[in-house]
Amino acid sequence: MKRIYIKILFFVIVAGLLGFIVYLLISYIPKPPAKEIDNARIALSKAFKSKADTYSKQLYGEAKANYDSAMFNWRKENAKFIYFRKYDKVSRFAKQSTNKAKQAIEASTLSTSTYKVKLNDKINKLNKLVESISTFFNRYPLPSETRNSISTGKFYLKEAEIDYSKGQFIPANKKLNSAEDMLSSAYDKAYSDLERYFKYYPQWKRWTEAAVKESKNNQSYSILVDKLSRKCYVYYNGIKKYEFDVELGRNWMGDKKKMGDKATPEGMYRIINKYSGTKYNNALLIDYPNEEDKTRFNREKAKGLIPTTAKIGGGIEIHGSGGKGVDWTEGCIALEDNEMEVIYRIAAVGTPVTIVGSIKNLQQIFTR
Amino acid sequence: MKNKVFMGLAAIVMVAFLSSCGTVPQAQIDAVNVSIDSAAKVEAGTYLPTEFAAVQDSMKAIMADVEVQKSKLFKKFGPAKMKLEALLVQTNGLVANTAVKKEEVKKEVETTLTDIKTVIEENGKLFKKAPRGKEGAAVLEQIKTEMATIDAAVVEAQASYDKGTYMDALNKIKAAKERATGINTELKDAIAKVKRR
Repeated sequence: MKRIYIKILFFVIVAGLLGFIVYLLISYIPKPPAKEIDNARIALSKAFKSKADTYSKQLYGEAKANYDSAMFNWRKENAKFIYFRKYDKVSRFAKQSTNKAKQAIEASTLSTSTYKVKLNDKINKLNKLVESISTFFNRYPLPSETRNSISTGKFYLKEAEIDYSKGQFIPANKKLNSAEDMLSSAYDKAYSDLERYFKYYPQWKRWTEAAVKESKNNQSYSILVDKLSRKCYVYYNGIKKYEFDVELGRNWMGDKKKMGDKATPEGMYRIINKYSGTKYNNALLIDYPNEEDKTRFNREKAKGLIPTTAKIGGGIEIHGSGGKGVDWTEGCIALEDNEMEVIYRIAAVGTPVTIVGSIKNLQQIFTR
Repeated sequence: MKNKVFMGLAAIVMVAFLSSCGTVPQAQIDAVNVSIDSAAKVEAGTYLPTEFAAVQDSMKAIMADVEVQKSKLFKKFGPAKMKLEALLVQTNGLVANTAVKKEEVKKEVETTLTDIKTVIEENGKLFKKAPRGKEGAAVLEQIKTEMATIDAAVVEAQASYDKGTYMDALNKIKAAKERATGINTELKDAIAKVKRR
């Protein structure tokens, strides 16, 4: 009986010892940083969703590199004998990855919202610029290079709007920058051309005032042509009586320099002859070139600004056959036949015809 | 005594078996990796970016699970194996879906290209009929320039299409179509305005 108890006691002690050894064996196995790795992976995934790979490239790249290093070291440690494994490095890389990913999310969110606001402002600004270009310069004889810039700029803007609506802010920004370059340079070029043209405004103003004054003093008709607005005003006794649309020479912007330049002259002229039944129906011939035109022509020729073989030209008329809507004449002023009929009736040889670039100044035009 | 020795040996074998019975499901891992590579090759990242990112993330999670098991004394790769099998199905599906999506985008580009060519043709006809009205030649000159820009954009989009970069082609052609439609409306309005006079 006693031997049985001794046997049982022996087995209990052996089992206890074995259990204790197994416990020791298990409890001394190093614990892998699974939670840290999981956190890093989740943070990386969130960073990707917040487009950190695009908007916070560096931080996202660092987070990713740290995660890869953590996994690499984990695999390396797992290849060792179970009790020789050390996961400190793995844990450190995983934590660094989480931190970097969180920073990347913050930076990306900030960057995205900044982009959103910034690009929206830029789109609005450029659309306003397009509107201004269209309002002020659509009718100007812009050089084809400027027209191409406007067209390409508008196209980039449209593409940028599509990218923006898809949340693709980086390509949208790139295209907006290109659009801004194109549109701003086109606007500046067109504006500076116009500004250069408007340096003659004080002279135009004087001519306009003189034409109205003469009409008032002589109680007579006076014809005033505003090239920029394509209008012809007829004054009587200093009061505007008629207003007609006109069409000009194709190169209407600027004074006539020489024969064949398709420009409509600017100056104070008089009607020197009246014709009916011409190619363009009724016509009023003006005294271009007057003395001032001839002096300027000779001066510019002497300076070499005009070729020595160039001729000053002439035969500038106010005539019918207008209403085409385009500036099509060789330098004449065309009106619709029925409106030409009115002018033809009231005008006489000697009636003053004043042709100016604009009766409004640049500021008035740009604040309309 | 013989029995005790036998029992002791059995216990050792049992421990050894339990601690090494799980082997890394390398075949499944390789299969999923190959499938992910295939997805990348068919441009899943471009056509189905969210789904592609999800697959990559799932793979990362499974690989972490595998390492967790490898870190244990008693390894159990069964659940990881099952997850890998499910992920393989998902990734293969992604490859197929990407092809479908790519085909959809391709078709959209083709349709838009056909549409825009019709609009461009119509614009050409409308341009000839366009009133030289009060807007003047300069406006028509601008429209003409824009029509040329649209033509160039269509050529670029066609080139992207021919190269197989359908997403680029789609973005370009959509912008071109919007501009062409805008010009179409502009010309039609101008013609209608003159008719009303």
